[in-house]
Amino acid sequence: MISQAIAPSASDLFLPRPFQVTGVRRETSDTITLRLRPPDGSAFSFRPGQFNMLYLFGIGEVPISISGVHPRTRDLEHTVRAVGYVTRALARLRKGHIVGVRGPFGHGWPLEEARGQDILILAGGIGLAPLRPALQYLLAHRSDYEQIVLLYGSRTPADLLYQLELERWRGRLDLHVFVTVDRGDEAWRGHIGVVTTLLPLAERLLDLRRAFVLMCGPEVMMRVAARELEDRGVPPERIFLSLERNMKCAVGFCGHCQFGPLFICRDGPVFPLPRVRPLLEVREL
Amino acid sequence: MSKAEILEALRQHPFTHDMEEAWKESLAEIARMQTYAPDTLLLREGRAADAFFLIIDGLVAIEMFVPERGSLRLQTVSAGEIVGWSWALPPYRWEFDARALTETKALVLDAAQLRDRMNRDCALAAWILSRLLAVVAGRLKATRLQLLDLYAPAPRRAS
Repeated sequence: MISQAIAPSASDLFLPRPFQVTGVRRETSDTITLRLRPPDGSAFSFRPGQFNMLYLFGIGEVPISISGVHPRTRDLEHTVRAVGYVTRALARLRKGHIVGVRGPFGHGWPLEEARGQDILILAGGIGLAPLRPALQYLLAHRSDYEQIVLLYGSRTPADLLYQLELERWRGRLDLHVFVTVDRGDEAWRGHIGVVTTLLPLAERLLDLRRAFVLMCGPEVMMRVAARELEDRGVPPERIFLSLERNMKCAVGFCGHCQFGPLFICRDGPVFPLPRVRPLLEVREL
Repeated sequence: MSKAEILEALRQHPFTHDMEEAWKESLAEIARMQTYAPDTLLLREGRAADAFFLIIDGLVAIEMFVPERGSLRLQTVSAGEIVGWSWALPPYRWEFDARALTETKALVLDAAQLRDRMNRDCALAAWILSRLLAVVAGRLKATRLQLLDLYAPAPRRAS
């Protein structure tokens, strides 16, 4: 269940709950989406943009963004890219396996604050995962928002996440979706180039001076995109980005994800641009 | 298409919309509206760069033909953008192909006549070249970011 202002109680902070894997969907060659169900079968409440700590017993624990709820079963979904020891093990899970889940943690996207406004969602690569529940929420409350535009950049057509859902989104009359890839193939007839090259298309559809921007992707992409958005008139306080660092405790105790005076797990992972812009320029962080 | 309609298209296009009205009227005299079917080449590598394209609608790919691999697409250009700057630089020869991926409508300016007008009016030349420079810089930045391959798998890590 996608809801607002959800945080675990203090006693739950460090106690993983055993969730059952109810399905695994392969997204790309190295990325899967896990479908998870709580032990009591209840709906999992979270705020779009929040993350969970996923624990494979005897292997390790990793922070993974919540990538939505399954449209039919309402199971919790996590999209995982196999890049390390724990995530490779997560990518090997099958239906019926058990995963420890702590969460949800962190601050999500400002969907309440953005009510009544234009929304621009800018995603790069696996950065679409934490934005997917935001889009699901926006579409479930479609009449509360003005224009909604999704700009999504990927490495190649084969690396696009949620391809069936993307097709459905593209078919909607109340949502504008533009997809670009860094490298096309013979079959690709769409845009080629970095995701910021799609900004002029978004500018034709919504008033960037009034829009809320929700952004997630490689940090370089977000840094460049934030500058371009400001150049095009988006007020910086309306630009929100989701940052990633090495999170361990998820509640601001351990300091692993310290980002200057901030902890990404506790103060983020979603931040308004003015709060983190000076820190994005600090190369040592 | 009438001159008045072409003039209106110049008023609407992001590249020329804030240009002095007298210059727009001058450009309207050397422009024509052209529609390209999907897969049609707008321009071809090695040929004379004899036109400047303002894309009104559609999607255009910048490509290069590579023997045994075919035409490789490097970038796409959408409505509201421009295609081609080789017409502004000697030896006025296209360096890449440009192909319509969807049905594409473009305002096509005759390059020789445009250069002639720019040679006679330094202010017009400065205006157009500064706009072109901004486009070139934007495409160069986008290409550099593409070269970074930001979405590539990260080096293996502990988690």
